[in-house]
Amino acid sequence: MSTLTKYSAIPYTGPAPTNREPFVPADAAKHDTRGEELAAQLGNVAQERGQDLPTLVADKNDIVNVLTSLKTSGFTLPLDLWGVDYPNRDKRFDVMYQLYSLQNNERVRLKVRVGEDESVPTTTGVFKGYNWFEREVFDMYGVKFDGHPNLRRILTHEQFQGHPLRKDYDPAQRWLLTEQGVAKLEPKIDPRFENVDTDFERVTLNLGPSHPATHGTLRIVVTLDGETIIGAESEIGYLHRCFEKMSETHTYQQVIPFTDRLNYCSAIINNVGYCMAVEKLLGIEAPSRAQHIRLMLSEFMRLSDHIICIGTNLVDMGALTNFWYLFQPREEILGLVESCCGARLLPSYTRIGGMAVDVPSNFLENSQRLVNMLPKFIDDVEKLVMTNRIFRDRVDGVAPISAEDALSYGFTGPCLRACGIPFDIRKASPYLGYETYDWNVPVAEGGDTYARFLVRFEEMRQSLRILQQAINRGLPPGPVIVDNPYVALPPKEKVYNEMESLIYHFKMIMHGIQPPVGETYFQVEGGNGELGFYVVSDGTKNPYRVRVRPPCFPIFEAYTEMITGQTIPDAIAALGSLNIIAGELDH
Amino acid sequence: MAIGIVKLERQTLRGAQRLYLPAVVSGMLITIRHLLKNLFNLKKLPVISYPEVKRVYSERFRGRHILTSREDGTTRCVACYMCSTACPAECITIEAGEDERTREKFPVRYEIDLLRCIFCGYCVDACPEDAIYMTRDYEMSIDTRARAVVGLRDLVVPPNFPVEPMGWRPYYGAIDKKGTAGGTGIGQPLRTAPFEDDAPPNPELFRGGPA
Repeated sequence: MSTLTKYSAIPYTGPAPTNREPFVPADAAKHDTRGEELAAQLGNVAQERGQDLPTLVADKNDIVNVLTSLKTSGFTLPLDLWGVDYPNRDKRFDVMYQLYSLQNNERVRLKVRVGEDESVPTTTGVFKGYNWFEREVFDMYGVKFDGHPNLRRILTHEQFQGHPLRKDYDPAQRWLLTEQGVAKLEPKIDPRFENVDTDFERVTLNLGPSHPATHGTLRIVVTLDGETIIGAESEIGYLHRCFEKMSETHTYQQVIPFTDRLNYCSAIINNVGYCMAVEKLLGIEAPSRAQHIRLMLSEFMRLSDHIICIGTNLVDMGALTNFWYLFQPREEILGLVESCCGARLLPSYTRIGGMAVDVPSNFLENSQRLVNMLPKFIDDVEKLVMTNRIFRDRVDGVAPISAEDALSYGFTGPCLRACGIPFDIRKASPYLGYETYDWNVPVAEGGDTYARFLVRFEEMRQSLRILQQAINRGLPPGPVIVDNPYVALPPKEKVYNEMESLIYHFKMIMHGIQPPVGETYFQVEGGNGELGFYVVSDGTKNPYRVRVRPPCFPIFEAYTEMITGQTIPDAIAALGSLNIIAGELDH
Repeated sequence: MAIGIVKLERQTLRGAQRLYLPAVVSGMLITIRHLLKNLFNLKKLPVISYPEVKRVYSERFRGRHILTSREDGTTRCVACYMCSTACPAECITIEAGEDERTREKFPVRYEIDLLRCIFCGYCVDACPEDAIYMTRDYEMSIDTRARAVVGLRDLVVPPNFPVEPMGWRPYYGAIDKKGTAGGTGIGQPLRTAPFEDDAPPNPELFRGGPA
């Protein structure tokens, strides 16, 4: 089935974009009502209407109280904290908080407006995970957080000048950054080990930034007492590529290749998440064929993500064979992706409004071949390790995290499900038709490295179940991209032969997509957890702000706490099982 | 919310599992099974002996670019700057000129910095003239940064250039498949000798610009 409609002289008759109109989400009324309830319950907050989430505006002095009372009323999962800059406003910065309630399956967004020299009280006392998020806002916008335990730059270098996500920061500026004058990282000794009397000398050891076991450029400094880690500190930002600032200087379509580079192990999920956020802002939906392709490739990417996580983690523990067994199916998955879009690791396959091209005619057969061959590899590896005494000694009870702590840090994805909390975006707020498939959310108890292995193995099986159902249903006929010249490029046949389409084509490239003015947030289940994109449009061709909520970020934040009291080999085993992807962690 | 949950049981090691040796033996059995299977199926070994054997890429592969030509030998590009505008990496530099005889616009300079290029294929999607294609050529090693900048001399191919080595190009409906599924090519004939199309489109490739 060709993606292209036949050559026709009928011009597009749909509505032209009204890019100066504000964006009104379809379910705004529902969220307004819920927002009213919450505002009445909290008392001292204002409400912002017409948003895609219940949105409350709090005074900066009240924020700790508001967050605490929201936490007691069920919003226990701190998803995100980020900033937006509106330089023409009196109080130019918006510091935004997003919380999730597991009981009611709902989200709430809190905004605090701050001026240039003002500071916000820290909320690290309410949610542990907001420590790094606040540092990120400080780094990117220069908003200070009173009482923050460690308010340093996090993503940029210590000698970096200025705050890159401010609108008056010139993205073309360059800084010469050297090692001179950079503070030495001294891990704080955990109080549990402060007064322990041992015969060993205390040693400080660097893990990373370029170490084969860190799977990316991240640095962990540990203080050892004998073999026990008694204090740890982590540093990130070595792979910071200013994704968010670059998104502001490029058009909506041009951001798609950048999203590939966030979690490069499951790039199509990033593509899908970003495109669906912009589609939500545009009020359009991709054709059903495109949605089906997106779902299938997302699941293949999830498989590939878990394969990398398990395979490389086992290599770190000395089990190299599993790496070879698992990387063969991964190679085949990447081959399938390549046959669809021409690139293996960085596909850039989706476009806003659909897919770049249709899948090849033998896509379903190849998918079926993969779905048939994958269980054998998963079984082999599971048989090799899961009841192996040597492996179990390395993972049982290693680097555990309690469910409360995991929630407080903002864990999502397999790492949260390993603590026994069945939170999965595909079930909580289904997209791409996940609700029509028969599959289960795997949960395990314990929250240790072994539980994370269990969850990942089972999740691969569940992904295969979804894929088998998707293959059985077959690809729905029809186009793979919306027929709207204000969103998608017209088909090439028309561009070569019709004046009208040629003009649309030129306009599309030159003026880009111009969504209505507004803000939206869309989340998908990435390989590591909730991958959210927050997009603000000011009606021009470039996004005003793109915020990515990387699932790795809060997970790696908890890492130092998880490994304190463990040994170095345990720390390596735990790091692999968390599946930290530096590209995503460092934006 | 009623969602299907599967609770995973933590297996406790019992009896013989608690000993190291049985685990090692059972692990070896799986490994030996793989070894024997591969030993007697050497043809299906999922290994590509690069560079003697090369991976089969699909006809959508996004490799090095080419600029196509018309029947009369002039380049199809009309220097409309669409590709350089659409490029997210800003790696295309174009300078337009005018043909004195035909009054056609054409590129005087067309340079792609292959080190900046991220091979996303947006230039191909943006071209309204069928002028820029991507090939299946992925071997682009260079020894200096300056040689990564390829100009018209390296990019333009003669008219009626064979379709065989082409990769990502304007999509006119179903592409005639060569049976390429990508991957390691299991179940497909392995290539023992390089395809003819593995020769780069232009023998002058990457010799650098004019001295």
